[in-house]
Amino acid sequence: MGRFKNNKKSRVIGKPIAKKNQEDVSHVTGDKIPKSFVFSRMKLAGPVKQLQMDLRKLMLPYTALSLKEKKRNTLRDFLNVSGPMGVTHFLMLSKTASSLSLRVARTPQGPTLTFKIHQYSLASDIAQSQLRPRCPQDLFKSPPLIVLSGFGSQELHLKLATIMFQNIFPAIDINTVKLSTCQRLVLLNYNKDTKLIDFRHYSIRLQPVGVSRRIRKFVQNHQVPDLRNLQDVSDFVTKAGYGSESEGDEEAATVTLSSDLGRVNKGATKSAVKLQEIGPRMTMQLVKVEEGLCTGGIIFSEYDVDGKKEKLKKKQDEEEEEDSEEEGEEGSEEDGEDMDEDFED
Amino acid sequence: MSTGEEGHMAMADRGSRKRRVGVKKGTKAARNKKQKSKPSTSDRFKVTMKNQKLFQKRARDYNSDDDEEEDDESKKQPEVTIREKIFSDANMGPNYEEIGEEDNDENSDGEDHGEIESGITKFATDGCNAFKIAFKAIMKKTKGDDTLGPVLSAHKHLIGEKLAEDEAEKKAKGQARKAKHLIAEKGHVKPGSYLDSHEKILIGVATKGVVKLFNAVNKAQHAQKGLNPSRSKDAKVLKKRRKEAFLSELGKTKTDTKPFDARRNKLVFCLDLAPIESHEKNHLMSESKLVFCLELASIEKGSPSAHKSEDEAPVWAPLRDNYMLANPKLKDWDKKQETSEGDDFAGLSGDESYED
Repeated sequence: MGRFKNNKKSRVIGKPIAKKNQEDVSHVTGDKIPKSFVFSRMKLAGPVKQLQMDLRKLMLPYTALSLKEKKRNTLRDFLNVSGPMGVTHFLMLSKTASSLSLRVARTPQGPTLTFKIHQYSLASDIAQSQLRPRCPQDLFKSPPLIVLSGFGSQELHLKLATIMFQNIFPAIDINTVKLSTCQRLVLLNYNKDTKLIDFRHYSIRLQPVGVSRRIRKFVQNHQVPDLRNLQDVSDFVTKAGYGSESEGDEEAATVTLSSDLGRVNKGATKSAVKLQEIGPRMTMQLVKVEEGLCTGGIIFSEYDVDGKKEKLKKKQDEEEEEDSEEEGEEGSEEDGEDMDEDFED
Repeated sequence: MSTGEEGHMAMADRGSRKRRVGVKKGTKAARNKKQKSKPSTSDRFKVTMKNQKLFQKRARDYNSDDDEEEDDESKKQPEVTIREKIFSDANMGPNYEEIGEEDNDENSDGEDHGEIESGITKFATDGCNAFKIAFKAIMKKTKGDDTLGPVLSAHKHLIGEKLAEDEAEKKAKGQARKAKHLIAEKGHVKPGSYLDSHEKILIGVATKGVVKLFNAVNKAQHAQKGLNPSRSKDAKVLKKRRKEAFLSELGKTKTDTKPFDARRNKLVFCLDLAPIESHEKNHLMSESKLVFCLELASIEKGSPSAHKSEDEAPVWAPLRDNYMLANPKLKDWDKKQETSEGDDFAGLSGDESYED
């Protein structure tokens, strides 16, 4: 048994993500396509397990949807597999009795961002809360767009988070991109005051503007409309339906398409952008940034500010006398001044 | 006749049961004979009065079953006695003799009779004796005042105790499970069916982003309408147009929305809706120069138009040759990178950041 264990130890069972070399580089932009693993190195309880699955679906198509992890798989095993498969990002969920956290890491050498998940809702919860959950067939066949909002401050850890999330999905070339592939959107909204990041996942839907609801439905559904109450066929076209649902207030949300998109949205016509949430939904907080892949020096820490400064100190004046270090520790209580000192050095 | 045989059957059954419990040994022959004898008797029970004569006649023709049975029993006798010995040694212990005596007394009174079953009855009565003793012991007990009598399960206080115990156990289990569930569900929020204001704001932000992208795409792709990128002739025209568009965007970056417009029109399209004022931007630019360098490098690699942008003395400051020297903030950028926490970009930008 023991021997058996050892033999299997370094194997991570998972589907190969894509054909190796052909798909590594996007033929459109010529950039390397980022790929990801979503996994956890512990046994997860029901809802968290589901959250992991939702995250995997969100990361589609460049992720291992049915990645199987075992308790004996170490991080090193995943790392070994990630190299040949071209996996660039790890998303790791971990659950303790007190908290749930998500670590987003760049392979092979970091950095690692640790987010504490304060609240989350599963995709199924979101679907349940909606009257008509939407899931077209090819929704998960193209990568989502990413929208980052509110991150543009000078703080370095936030900038790092921005870069990390910008690179987690394939880049878009606006000259060649087909709008029909833009089906989903991931929104990360940073709230300065609460320091919380809202993580949302929407599906994008385009609707022609200025067409009555009946006709739109008729074109979309291909169903014979109910004409019993009408005197004439022309009534069906001319008679306005019930008020055009909130079309007026969303003038900002209209776009002019350059090409046809689907059957309904023709090129050079106005279309309204409608977003519907598909989940998962997370409210998280960046608590730690590490240099390496789950190891290495701590660049940023939300709770333990002292640790970061001590580290800085150590780096700067390793050979200097210990007195100054103590001073630094004492001084670190007053945040602003000490920071300045550090930079002056 | 029939009653006697019934009795015998019962005895035999008891005996066989006992044998299974007490003794492992048992010759095959004996077992076979028993099995043989059983169906014969059972047949006899089924016989109706009508057919009895016929069967009797047949029985006379063949060797009758009765004879066989007699043979069986005569053979059984010694075996059973041996078994009895073993039984007495192994199971019954010292009390056995007394019991045996009692048995014998009672045996003579009992309904079992005749020399046929003598061995079996002895053995069988041993077996049933244990039961008898137990039964007697129970019967000797005086019944309490309870109307329910000795029926334990009907006692109310006992039932009450048991129920209370069960309840407590259940409660403890339930609480443990609840705690576990609470831990598992921690942070799990099920959204309401309505859209609250916060969600609406978020959707608004996301919509803005999508609209920005779509408009940009529309703008970029409008220029190349009707051209087929796979044809070499068209590809050239495309290149030219893209270059023009790119340069014109760079030219625009002189105005307030400098770095972000430039960023947006790069091959890597990043939507950034951050509300940043102009002075902030300058600061940001100087600090995040590594990122910019990286992105610019990727442009120069990716799009052919970017190569020529340098010849035309770019309007956007970072593209000028003397940008690094002219800007006092950027003069000793490599020193600053060491002192500040620039390490975080090292993993991302890699070698490319040092190209410029």
